[in-house]
Amino acid sequence: MPERWSDYLTIFMSALAVGYVVYEIERRRRKLHDLWDVLGGEDAELTAGLVAMVDSGELQPYTGATLA
Amino acid sequence: MPRAPRGPGSPRRPRAPARTPRETVRSRPTGARSTSLNARRREVSGPSSALEEPVGREEALVIEPPADAEQSARPATAGPRFQIFIIDAGWDSPAHRVLRQNFGLLRDLQRGERIYVLSREKSIEFIRSHRADLVGKDPIIAVHDLEALGSTGTAGFHGFRLHLGLLRTEEQALLALQAFSRFLNANRQAGDLEALIRAQLRREGLFGAIEIILHHEPREIGG
Repeated sequence: MPERWSDYLTIFMSALAVGYVVYEIERRRRKLHDLWDVLGGEDAELTAGLVAMVDSGELQPYTGATLA
Repeated sequence: MPRAPRGPGSPRRPRAPARTPRETVRSRPTGARSTSLNARRREVSGPSSALEEPVGREEALVIEPPADAEQSARPATAGPRFQIFIIDAGWDSPAHRVLRQNFGLLRDLQRGERIYVLSREKSIEFIRSHRADLVGKDPIIAVHDLEALGSTGTAGFHGFRLHLGLLRTEEQALLALQAFSRFLNANRQAGDLEALIRAQLRREGLFGAIEIILHHEPREIGG
């Protein structure tokens, strides 16, 4: 057990530092996951919707040089 | 967004043990969840496989295509690998402007792939009818991996989305767009796109930790 108050302070500050790093990593990860999203099973409906639009001819490959 | 956090307590797809690339795609359970791409810092001086926040510049996400990606699994003469969909409801946002200004270049770089642009009305209707949580994340660039779709359908991994609308500045949006294009070009012949993405996720976790420790300050990602 620590014998001086400064030891407790050191332990406390170290815990804060570790906690901050963990928090920051997780925050970065969340933001990245928000931006880049891998399509999986739960996106099946979304994907099917787009594929259906293509199959039905509702969507055609875009040939324009710029977006309207 | 509820899709993003994949922390230890996340209810999303549990972390799977290391698998071979083909196993990764084929053994995905039907209820497989989507997760997200990750990235690491872009290294100006050499090829790397991660996202990067340019030092001294406004923070932004960039995906670097892996230099040693599995490039040999698909013949170069095969047909289009991807279907690219652009969904943009038309928010007056930096990402919207960047996409409009650079679409021609993006299209030229992805020549050979089919690009589908949903009109403003179709985009709004599509977002409203399918996924309300995508509101405000557009412009969205959705990429369908035709190879994965052909083998496992929509049950497992079958592509990815870039939510450009989440980026707050034009520089961030442009860097993300460039990274997106680079990733597609570099991995068009990749045997297992999902494995590449997951490798980058792991890499980002490691580099992110090192970066935070070295910089001693938070670095904003994605705005």
